[in-house]
Amino acid sequence: MDAVEKANAERQKRWVKDQKIGEGTYAVVYRGREASSGRQVAIKKIKVGLFKDGLDMSAIREVKYLRELKHQNIIELLDVFSSKTNLNLVLEFLESDLERVIKDRSLVFLPADIKSWMAMTFRGLEFCHRNWILHRDLKPNNLLIASDGQLKIADFGLARDFADPGYKMTCQVITRCVCAAVGYSRDSDINHGWYRPPELLFGSRYYSTAVDIWSVGCIFAELMLRTPYLAGESDMDQLNTIFRALGSPTEQDWPGHTKLPDYVPIGHFTRAPLRDLFTAASVDALNLLTQCLIYEPKKRITAKDALSHAYFFAPPYPSHPSKLPKTSPPVNTTQPLDEIDGNTLSGKNNRKRKLSSSTDETKTRSAVARRLDFTKTTPGS
Amino acid sequence: MAANRMNFLQGKTVRKVVAGGHSRSSSTPQLSSTSTTIYGGGVKDPSGRITEYSSEDDQCPVCKSDKYLEKKLRLLVSSCYHKMCESCIDRLFTLGPAPCPICNKVLRKLAFTPQTFEDLGVEKEIAIRRRIAKEFNKHLEDFPSLREFNDYLEEVEDITFNLINDIDVVGTEARIAKNREANAAIIRENARKEAQYALTLQQTEENERKERELRAEELRREEEEERHARESGKREIIDRLERADGKNASKVIRETRKARAEREAGKKGGPTQGALMRARVAATATVAAKDVPHVPFQDDYYAYQDRYLLQPVYVDPVSEAVRQDREGIMRAGGYKVEEAWERALRFAVAGLDLAPLGDTIDKGGDVIMSTA
Repeated sequence: MDAVEKANAERQKRWVKDQKIGEGTYAVVYRGREASSGRQVAIKKIKVGLFKDGLDMSAIREVKYLRELKHQNIIELLDVFSSKTNLNLVLEFLESDLERVIKDRSLVFLPADIKSWMAMTFRGLEFCHRNWILHRDLKPNNLLIASDGQLKIADFGLARDFADPGYKMTCQVITRCVCAAVGYSRDSDINHGWYRPPELLFGSRYYSTAVDIWSVGCIFAELMLRTPYLAGESDMDQLNTIFRALGSPTEQDWPGHTKLPDYVPIGHFTRAPLRDLFTAASVDALNLLTQCLIYEPKKRITAKDALSHAYFFAPPYPSHPSKLPKTSPPVNTTQPLDEIDGNTLSGKNNRKRKLSSSTDETKTRSAVARRLDFTKTTPGS
Repeated sequence: MAANRMNFLQGKTVRKVVAGGHSRSSSTPQLSSTSTTIYGGGVKDPSGRITEYSSEDDQCPVCKSDKYLEKKLRLLVSSCYHKMCESCIDRLFTLGPAPCPICNKVLRKLAFTPQTFEDLGVEKEIAIRRRIAKEFNKHLEDFPSLREFNDYLEEVEDITFNLINDIDVVGTEARIAKNREANAAIIRENARKEAQYALTLQQTEENERKERELRAEELRREEEEERHARESGKREIIDRLERADGKNASKVIRETRKARAEREAGKKGGPTQGALMRARVAATATVAAKDVPHVPFQDDYYAYQDRYLLQPVYVDPVSEAVRQDREGIMRAGGYKVEEAWERALRFAVAGLDLAPLGDTIDKGGDVIMSTA
């Protein structure tokens, strides 16, 4: 046994696997704990040898970026070790995700709750961006909720660093990644497109932090509506949906967009005021939402500026994380992978999502969304 | 009428009783009721609050004309808190600033304001307090300790009292001016915040009202639907009874009733939004944690931006293509060359403050970028 193996065995001993709680194409997730302290963790066993090129790309990315990022609002990678031929990621154990919270009809959101989630999301995202990392796959089920209410960004399987000075290579990598992302959204997860910004849908190869901001804008809208905001059925339909909601961009709104690689002219829509849909949102909230959903990526608000936006300072104060509404613990412990850390391309996951977008549920959801009261303030705040 | 005249001779105010049908059954003269002075006459806004005070006893102290003879008499208040009627103001001040006929302070026509309170002392106090509140608008957050904030409040109250009671007006004004000079930035910032807060409140109110209307509308629609369903149910029974023969009649009625009961039960499933909201509020009330104001950044990362200076342009052959992109094809995606440069600079200066091999190295031997 050489030194590396010894070190690995040492690490392996620190963690105990309990029961299996989910399985995806790429990984099996176990609930586990730290042998010394009993602290709960999620252990993600990556299946190696399943693919010709060796290890799954998303696992490599996840390790690469999570090793670097330590922040209150980003999932913590506690350890990495190998067992036999498998790679094991030891992650913080988080009980719920934002998608489940949004979907839980028995929970009522106060405007202060939404503000709190948004603040935590922007904080985590700002930390990624300041460390030059794009997440590129933000959606409610990648925003996990800890038992103390803290929101944590998870699933760095599609993340990459940006603004690399040697970017002649970078742009090719980005190209490949974008293509991968496109294929990903077409083949395996139809809903991924809901949070994709128009510049990616038009096939841009040079992009920046603004792609994540668009996703956050969509999530913000979803929190207020309790139903996905821009839910298209395909890439094409996604663009259609966006333009129907926000109006078609003109050359003035977004210089150069007609020259993007995958640009296709899409019908002409006029912009309807957001106020029509978000009847109860405060002016500041609408302003922040508008700034997250600006077509021209350079004009889109940055995570840093968003954190200083008036919305976060206006009353009511953001809810304390421990006060945020929570889903009741799942009865069925063998939930699909994404509840543990959302990093899954499993068929199970997208079937689940697809179901939720079937017409009848969408109807009931929107009916309730209309009745939501966003204007009530938390007592005592 | 004799009694009436007698009262008049005794110097009591006698209200003129309209002759003829309108006069009250009793012939007792009506003393001008105190209630009109307590509650005041005058202009009221829709909610019943008096916006401009006036009384039947109003008399212009300058020309001595009164409400009795001059129905349209309107008294305005000068900046020295003396009342006079509009015609006197016109007469005295149209040609420019002139001394107050009562106290000789030089007044301008535009500085007269309508009277809100019966007692001019109150009027004065309110105006002064309003002015002082604008000048001294610091909050507890602007002070290092509660003690200092309390001292500040004490001083403000002192200044207010001086102004109200005309004690050392010159000295007090000097104190106010000094404060204004010293705290100009804070005052402006707080004023802006307050204006914004007022605006938010107003918007919240407006939104709440809209929301209520929407909900009422929805409720009405639901009721309408229910009524409709009930009626069609009745019609259905009659229709089916018509078609059915006599033996089946009671069965038909039973079946239809059962179907309706099922429908209604289905509709009532789940608690109402209101109940859920109450539950949510109750749940949060038990948690001790207090909501705190938003803090944008919880570390001092951006405090170190003076470590480097980003030039507008660098000699960078690699980024040539993007920079020469006149048509904006590459820029439409939001990529910024400047970010690449900034990243390189950031990396260059990132470790300057770190002691070599400090505790930023974790057990695994990896360097970790931490928030601290």
